[in-house]
Formats: sequence, structure tokens, C-alpha cells
Amino acid sequence: MNELDEKVLKKLNIDKLTHMFMDEINEQNLKLIEGIECLLEENFDGFEKNLKYVIKSTTEIQIKKAFESKIFKSKLMFSKADRLKLFSKINDMKNIGEFLANKMLLYKVIFPDEKFKLQVLSIIKSIKELLNNISEAVKSIGSDLSKSHDICEKIKEVRRKMRKEEWILLNRLWNYDMDYLSRTFLYLKELIEGIMLLADHIKNFAEYIQFLATKYLIFD
Amino acid sequence: MAEEFTSFLIIVLIIMGVALAFSIGANDETLAPLVGTGVIKFKTALILGGFAVGFGMVFFSEGVGKTVGANILGPGIKYTTFMLLAVLISSILWLIIGSLAGIPLSSTHSTIGSIFGVVIVFSLFTGGIEPSTAFNWEKLGNVVLSWFISPLFGLLMTFILFKIIAKLYLIKLKGMNQIEKSEKSFTRLLFIAVFFAEIWVGANSAECIGIFYGLYDNGSINQGEYYFFVFICGIFVFLGIYIAGRFVIKNLASQITDARPSEGFIIQISSSIILMICTLMALPISHSHVIVFCILGLNVAQKKEIDFKAMSKMAAYWVLTFPIAAIFAGFIYFGFISFGFF
Repeated sequence: MNELDEKVLKKLNIDKLTHMFMDEINEQNLKLIEGIECLLEENFDGFEKNLKYVIKSTTEIQIKKAFESKIFKSKLMFSKADRLKLFSKINDMKNIGEFLANKMLLYKVIFPDEKFKLQVLSIIKSIKELLNNISEAVKSIGSDLSKSHDICEKIKEVRRKMRKEEWILLNRLWNYDMDYLSRTFLYLKELIEGIMLLADHIKNFAEYIQFLATKYLIFD
Repeated sequence: MAEEFTSFLIIVLIIMGVALAFSIGANDETLAPLVGTGVIKFKTALILGGFAVGFGMVFFSEGVGKTVGANILGPGIKYTTFMLLAVLISSILWLIIGSLAGIPLSSTHSTIGSIFGVVIVFSLFTGGIEPSTAFNWEKLGNVVLSWFISPLFGLLMTFILFKIIAKLYLIKLKGMNQIEKSEKSFTRLLFIAVFFAEIWVGANSAECIGIFYGLYDNGSINQGEYYFFVFICGIFVFLGIYIAGRFVIKNLASQITDARPSEGFIIQISSSIILMICTLMALPISHSHVIVFCILGLNVAQKKEIDFKAMSKMAAYWVLTFPIAAIFAGFIYFGFISFGFF
């Protein structure tokens, strides 16, 4: 966790602060995913280390404070409310990530078999793609809304693919021959649902960005 | 005794005319987009806007006032004090009924409609003048025609202006930062457009100036007094905006914080050009009708959905204003005649 220099933060404009916030939250969510990968490899130390990083990290609060004070005084005319909403949507990603990290730390699980692990890995790969795409989309809003719009279209496509993967995984989980300890079953179920919660939020976020693109851009 | 009564009525008419000027200012929402963007302080906007309307009314309203106060009448007919009183009572009552029923009506249409009703009753019941010669039909026809043409021109002008600005400039803006910066520049243009519009809103306030021109034309007041009262109206329209208009403006401005200054500029500049042309041609038109059609023009240009049901309802009220105001005023004036007041 790296503390940021308050003076440097004060000098940054609203756009730069939003990008910095996005990077920070993206980094934390990627750490969360990395932690889940460690769990798949049964590397429990790595799992705990990564998830605790997500929970304990407070850098984003500094950025948030700097952003709020800047936007309050700013003379932006009609994009002020949209920029605030954009920022809060990024913040929601942190909240979901933190919630998931706390939940995952309650217990440690050993995955039932290699096929299940591979399918979880596939979902994880997709969520990573979503995270990186949404970060890129947010950063393009200031300079190229069409580009953001197109990236968001990709996000929606990936999320659709993930939904199918989710059902395959859940189906597998519910139909195992052997009886699992209820804690293991619940943990795995909530892990999948937690990842999908983040994916759903990113998809909603993408739709909001597309709304912004249609609101601001003038088409021929 | 009769002379004293007539003098008293003239004073009543003058007070009502001045009150009308105040209410024009009080209901003027032209400043709302400017206040909504926050480009200048609210009080400064009220002072400058009020000054612009007053300026327009004092210096550019004579042609329109002359049309309403004299030129739409036929040769050999002049307004009597009771005719003007019936016109004012009818148009004010009709506007109040419209407001209470939530129907947006034009005070210009209402005034001209009232004049029509009063003059027809005058020609039918007082003798000496045929209804066919009671009006300068060419002038009246031009006025009524301008009510249909001016909103359509507003629609067309906004549509074309938006297409040109969008094609040459707006379409090239890609990011939110670029758009925000560009809209900031448009606020300056909006500032100019709004004050330009305010001048012509004041100048085209026919319902108020027409009454004073009518009084001047029938010899109730002299030329010096006419200009004096026009000046007083200018002051009262300013006070109307400053004292009472602030509530309408603040309310509307708070609802349009999301509006783009570029769109506001296109609407305001189109409507003010239409108002200016009509004022210079001495044609009293409805500012609100032009504005509604300018907004419609922008929506058509942006391919936005249009509520045709609401539009047709509004159009029906617009068309009905003239005959209803005419019938209303006719009855009031007929009542005066019944008591021997011509």
C-alpha cells in the first residue's frame, strides 16, 4: 500500500484523478483475482496476502477526497453530475471487491476437481478482461467517447459469455455425485456468485458509459 | 360627469396597460437557459435581461404597437375607451382561465382575437360601419398569417442551423473534455443570444404597447404622453423581471442544468431572429409559439422522439385562442353597449 502525496493530488485535475482512481481500484480488483488464483493452486498464503491487500488498502480514499474537493469547487457546467456518477460507479467496484475479499477470507477451500478449477480459471480470465476493458473505457471518456462506447460493447459480449460459464459451473457444483461439506458447497457457490456480481456491475457500468456517449456525442 | 368618467376609465386603462407590462416581465422565461448554465450571477442576469426587454420595448415596439393600436382597423374606425377596456378584460380573463386550466396560451393571439370580437360587435350594433370595412383585412391577414409562418420558420431555422453547426463543428468533438470546453465557449454565445432575444421580446410585446397606441390614436393621450407611457412600460417590464420573473426563471433554470449551451444558443438565436424580422415588419407574433417550434426543430434535427399527441393538443389550443377570445370580448363589449357605454 503506497501513501500518496497530498500536494501532488491537489495539483491533478478531475480527469487525472478519475484515471488514478480507476487504476487504483483496477489494481486492487486484479489482486483479488490473483488471490483467487492462489486459492486454486492451494497457495493459501498468497491467497490471504492478496485479499488482505484489497481490504487494507486506503489509497483510493485519498484520491476520492481530492476528487470530491476538486469537483465541488469546479466550474464544470453540464458534465459535473455525470463525472460524479462515473466516480461513484468506480467506487462501487471497490466496494464489491472488498466485500468479496472479506467473504472469501472467512474460510479456505480445496476445489473438488481439475475440471472445476479449469472452469473457474476461465471465468477469472474473463473477469480480468472485463476489468482491464472497463479501465480503458473510463480513461477514454475524456478524449474519445466513441472508443469508450466500442469497448463497452466488448464488455457486454464478454459478460454474456461469462453468464453461460457461470451456469455450467453451478450446474456442475449442484450435480456432483459425492456429498460435500455444506461449507465447501456454500463457499464455492458464493465465490462464483461474487465474481458474477462484479461482472454484472461492470456490465451496468459499461451501459452507463454507453449512455454518456449517446448523451454527449452528436451523430450525423 | 361623463367626461370625468371617461378620464377615470383612461386612467384605469393606463394602469392596466402598465400592469400588463409588469406581467410580461414577470412571465418572461428567456433568461432561464443562461441562469441554468451559471455563466453570470443570477441578479446580474435579471438586471441585464430586464434592461434588454425594457430597451426593446422603448425603442423598437412602435411598429407592432401601431399595428395593434391602429393599423389593423379599417378606415374611419378608431378604438373607443370601452373597446380597449373590453379587449383588456377579455384577454386578461382568457389568459387567467388558460393558466388555471394549465393550457399554454399566447397573450398576443388573445389580444388580437379580443380586438376582432370587439370591433365586429361595434360594427354590428353601433351602425355606420360595415363589418367588411371594419378591418384592414390585408394587415389583419398578414398578422394571422405570420402566426402560422413564424413558428414554422423557427422550426426550419433551428433545424438548418443545428445541422450546419453539427456538421461543421459539433460532430468533430470526440471526448467529454473537448465537449465540455466547447460548450463553455457556447455559453458566451448564449449570453449574447439571450440578450438579443430579450430585446426583441420587449419589442414585440404588442398587447401592452397596442393599448397605448390605441389611446394615442383615438386622442385620449397625446404623442408626448404616449412615449412617456411606453417608457414607463419599459421600466415596469424591467421591474416585472427583477421582482416577479425571478421565480419563474429560477424554477426553470434548476430544471435545465443538463441542457447544452450550444442547443440553447441555437434555439435562442433562431427565435430572436424570427422575432426581430416580425417586429421590423410590424407583425405581432407569439414568442412562446416560436420557441416551442424552435425546440421542435432541434428535436427533429437530432432525430429525437416527438410527442405528437401533446403537440396536436397544443396546436388545437393555439387555433382556438383567437375565436374564443373574440367571442369572449364580443360579449363583454356587447354588455357595455347594452348599458349605453360605447
